[in-house]
Amino acid sequence: MLSKLQRHLAKDFMKIFLRDRQSIFFSLFFPVVFMSIFAFIRGGGQEPIPLGVVNQSDSAAAERLVEMLQEDFAFTVITGAEDDLREQLIAGEQMLVLVAPPDFSEPGIAGGKAVGLRLLADTSQFNQLPLVEPMLEQKLMAIEREFRGEEAMFSIEVENVQALSQNYLDFLLPGLLGMMLMQLSVAGSGYNVVEFRRKGILKRLFVTPLMPRDFIAAIVVARLGIVLIQLTVLLAFALFVLDVRIIGNFAEFYLVGIIASLVFLNIGFCIGSVAKTQQAIMAIGNIVIFPQIVLSGVFYPIDAMPGFVQPLAQVLPLTFVVSGLRDIAVSGETLVQIVPSLIGMAVWFVIGFALATRMFVWKEVAA
Amino acid sequence: MTPIIRAIDLVKRYSLPDDKSRTFAAVDGVSFEIFEREIYGILGPNGAGKTTTLEMLEGLNDIDGGSAFVDGIDVAKDPYSVKKIIGVQLQESEYFDKLNLIELLDLFGALYRRDIDAMELLGKVHLTEKAKARPANLSGGQKQRFSIACALVNVPKILFLDEPTTGLDPQAKRRLWDLVTELNDAGMTIVLTTHNMEEAEFLCGRIAIMDHGRLVAEDTPQSLIMKHAPEPPEAPLHGNIEDVFLALTGHALRD
Repeated sequence: MLSKLQRHLAKDFMKIFLRDRQSIFFSLFFPVVFMSIFAFIRGGGQEPIPLGVVNQSDSAAAERLVEMLQEDFAFTVITGAEDDLREQLIAGEQMLVLVAPPDFSEPGIAGGKAVGLRLLADTSQFNQLPLVEPMLEQKLMAIEREFRGEEAMFSIEVENVQALSQNYLDFLLPGLLGMMLMQLSVAGSGYNVVEFRRKGILKRLFVTPLMPRDFIAAIVVARLGIVLIQLTVLLAFALFVLDVRIIGNFAEFYLVGIIASLVFLNIGFCIGSVAKTQQAIMAIGNIVIFPQIVLSGVFYPIDAMPGFVQPLAQVLPLTFVVSGLRDIAVSGETLVQIVPSLIGMAVWFVIGFALATRMFVWKEVAA
Repeated sequence: MTPIIRAIDLVKRYSLPDDKSRTFAAVDGVSFEIFEREIYGILGPNGAGKTTTLEMLEGLNDIDGGSAFVDGIDVAKDPYSVKKIIGVQLQESEYFDKLNLIELLDLFGALYRRDIDAMELLGKVHLTEKAKARPANLSGGQKQRFSIACALVNVPKILFLDEPTTGLDPQAKRRLWDLVTELNDAGMTIVLTTHNMEEAEFLCGRIAIMDHGRLVAEDTPQSLIMKHAPEPPEAPLHGNIEDVFLALTGHALRD
């Protein structure tokens, strides 16, 4: 537990950080803007697909097919005559038109011949067709099953597909939060230490019988508090405004966040001890931060990267953090299931802590 | 009488900025003794090694050669025990901008594991009405007085002041001298560095003059004057121009 001195120091650091309104604002402003932009860009995945439907049959089954398509939120169904919709398709107002021909009839349970549905597509939008067609096909298969009376099995499958169907933002959020934890923590310890040293504040503090470990403990605890507040605000924004889902346990998600923050605070202390000036810490900080943003699977899975960088990418601290957070948020895994990521973080924590306590110097560094 | 501070052949070496393989001695074999209740002044031009000498005594800078004892404690072996019993006012100290004076004093109290009465300390340095102010909003003289208040939180046996009056106007300077005298009268040993000869003469019981990292003279101001100063060309004037300045602008503090 913290000693009285450490608590007092941590409380004061907390005050200092919280009173720095400007930096708190910007530390939240950019991530929020960032997430919003991605939400807008990738929001298309959630938007319904426009689908023209032409019903030339008067059978009840055809009616039912149209109804079922209309009920599905994945599609915006516009019904009409084939000629009208074909014109709209050519004009680019429609992407796909599904035609149920006059001989459309309920598919017999005993088999019967396949129902001939025609799909009209605009070739100029053909590049989107591969994305949309499987969805339509899946829907038709689902409808077919319902016609055939395989409802029970079918409805279970739909539930699963719904819960796990992640759009890009769901995938991205844990990555972005991991990245922000890294930036906020590295900046929170490293940049502060360099600033304190440059101003002579460190020297003034160590005129007193203050032990470096008390100083480091206090700043880590205070920073951790701030980072958790920031994490909560960003998470709340993502959940309530952008409608991102977290499937796993929230407490476990936070716990991984705390461990991640500790890892990066230590790394920040190391950078802060090496860097003599503000410019130096910016440069060294960027060298540490940017490769991780690119390589640690924040924006796309590591598997998608060229083979020769993968061994490096696999062992970066942010990789463990992002995969841990993502496994909980997206796949609903538990702490037990993400033990490999936790071990990775633990190793980095030990390395960071050993280096930070060894390298930390409060004495004035000759510039 | 045993000295409260003993510096024996202190050496501090730095590598040369343009040639890292060579070093120069910022402090080059300095020895002196300071007695309890004394005000001891270290004088010298910029770069003479005054601040470095103080920092070695304070446990802020590694001692490369020789040894230093403060109240019987070997500074190199146990800097933490030394830090507990000394108060230090650094040249150009900065503080956390986001805390006010009371919060800062409480923080320093905590660093010494002491419960302190911050308002009483501020009263001692005439800053009571600035209790809620941030250090950035203090004038030069107020900042120096606040630095001294910070140096007093642990009720130190020895107070180190590094150029306490540099950059202050005469009113603020005189006020600071009064404060130093008061503390000394109350029994505190004071070690200070200064460029200001008048300050050394006014405050210090004994003076050491440093140049190029060495001690070139040490004695009471009077004996130093007798030994080294050339005969004055004529009888001294009525005071000096600073007395005129103070007579015309008053002794009241301007900040």
